[in-house]
Amino acid sequence: MDKNFAVRRRRDLIIAAVLAGLAALAPLFIKDVYVQNILILTLMYAAMSQSWNILSGYCGQISLGHALYFGIGAYTTELLFTKFGVLPWFGMLAGGVIAALIAMGLGYPFFRLRGHYFVIATIVIAEIGLLLFQNWEWAGAAMGITIQVRGDSWLKFQFMRSKLPYFYFALVLCSLAWFVTWWLEDSKWGFWWRAVKDNPEAAESLGVVVFNSKMGAAAVSAFLVAIGGAYYAQFLAYIDPESVMGFQFSLLMALPAVLGGIGTLWGPVLGAAILIPMTELTRSYIGGSGRGVDLIVYGGLIVAISLALPQGLVSLFSRSKAKGASR
Amino acid sequence: MTALLETRGVWQRFGGLVANSDVSISVGRGEIVGLIGPNGAGKSTLFNLIAGVLPPTQGSIWFDGEDVTKMPAAERCQRGVGRTFQVVKSFETMTVIDNVIVGALVRNTVMRVARRKAYEVLEFTGLAARADVLASDLVPAEKRRLEVARALATEPKLLLLDEVLTGLTPTEAQTGVALVRKVRDAGITVLMVEHVMEIVMPLVDRAIVLDLGKVLVEGKPTEVVRDPKVISAYLGDRHAVGA
Repeated sequence: MDKNFAVRRRRDLIIAAVLAGLAALAPLFIKDVYVQNILILTLMYAAMSQSWNILSGYCGQISLGHALYFGIGAYTTELLFTKFGVLPWFGMLAGGVIAALIAMGLGYPFFRLRGHYFVIATIVIAEIGLLLFQNWEWAGAAMGITIQVRGDSWLKFQFMRSKLPYFYFALVLCSLAWFVTWWLEDSKWGFWWRAVKDNPEAAESLGVVVFNSKMGAAAVSAFLVAIGGAYYAQFLAYIDPESVMGFQFSLLMALPAVLGGIGTLWGPVLGAAILIPMTELTRSYIGGSGRGVDLIVYGGLIVAISLALPQGLVSLFSRSKAKGASR
Repeated sequence: MTALLETRGVWQRFGGLVANSDVSISVGRGEIVGLIGPNGAGKSTLFNLIAGVLPPTQGSIWFDGEDVTKMPAAERCQRGVGRTFQVVKSFETMTVIDNVIVGALVRNTVMRVARRKAYEVLEFTGLAARADVLASDLVPAEKRRLEVARALATEPKLLLLDEVLTGLTPTEAQTGVALVRKVRDAGITVLMVEHVMEIVMPLVDRAIVLDLGKVLVEGKPTEVVRDPKVISAYLGDRHAVGA
């Protein structure tokens, strides 16, 4: 029993390493910039969804306001860079820390709310954040901030010609988010989070401090999402509130995890691998008519997958395993 | 030696309803104590006060020589109070072993050690064969057992059992009784709330009968069942005549 568990965890790690290795080789064969762009977005949303999954999937606190942390990462990095000349690498970390602190500050009152009320609170808070940034003159208000790109520089993390550095950073981010999840899954925190999600009262009776567990999950989740926001800002080289803090980001973080399998290790990656290319492809092949046919097809596909596999895409792989367990 | 658990003049009011009034009980180390009484006697309320789900309106609760009246449930667990729930509260999306690991993590922060401890507890409670099954796939009797296993994994000094034997078939109840004995033999004090007198009475060293929020009678099970006050509380005054 003990051995099976260790074997499964090692197997997950090996699969992840192989996949990351294959992904790292992809640019050798894929020269098309459009396709590279899709890969970048897929990796980024996989990373974001993986981070969202820590709070909402494992700990069960469904947030539809993670765009706030994404935006905070983006804005912290770019404000520090354009106003004070702080390199984006430091801005990225600062953004992560600030987002984690804000997540805990918000968690303090809101983790007392349960279920739907918590979800509503997250949506409202993210909207307030968006409005604040839209009206904050010093931070560029609705006009946003343009980052001047002067040639290729790893130091400033900006590149004119090639998309490859962005691709590799997205891959690192995705691997990091996955690895953090993998590592936390078999830790005291991971167990506490799942217990809190399933039954907070029982968890409390077993010595789990429910409130602290939620705070921990929120901090880790927000930190990683903010790193993603910082990265996205560098990638776009231009940010405004709507393009880094809009509600669609909250949805695009939640959807891959939900589609792939919420609260599972592989769900977010799997979900993003299907969802993001699907978004881009429907948009470029059947979009553009102005009639929103792409969105209808896209929405229809999501509904179809959810109906066919309510446990998420990962259930395709775990079905045989479940059978083995009940034998 | 002081008692392991003591409630001193505990009151609990819910609005106008008095669920516990001036309840003072004590549980000594190594005892199996039964907390019984008819429906609405205040057993579950007292039980929750001891477990730390809510603080009493008045009075104090002492555990292992320490005032724990205001201490939240999680902290009481760390001090050595383990409990089960009347309505089972398994972690449904987790496997049986993972359920128990949550409990084991209170005393063991190293995962490998916690996992081994959890497996030992599963063997002790006879659930080892079901270790890798999802908790949601267990049958009711197994879920009750899992509740006990999870609480035992926290290595409690006092185990609070809330109607773990109720609603089981006679055979299942007998295995349950055997498990409770085994728990006590392992040096753990047990306070159990029960409904079914005939199962509990042979098991417990001492019975405390609650009625209408107050301690009605307290003593050896054989004496308690003959007490006219107890009979009248359970069956009505008519049956108490001539007892």
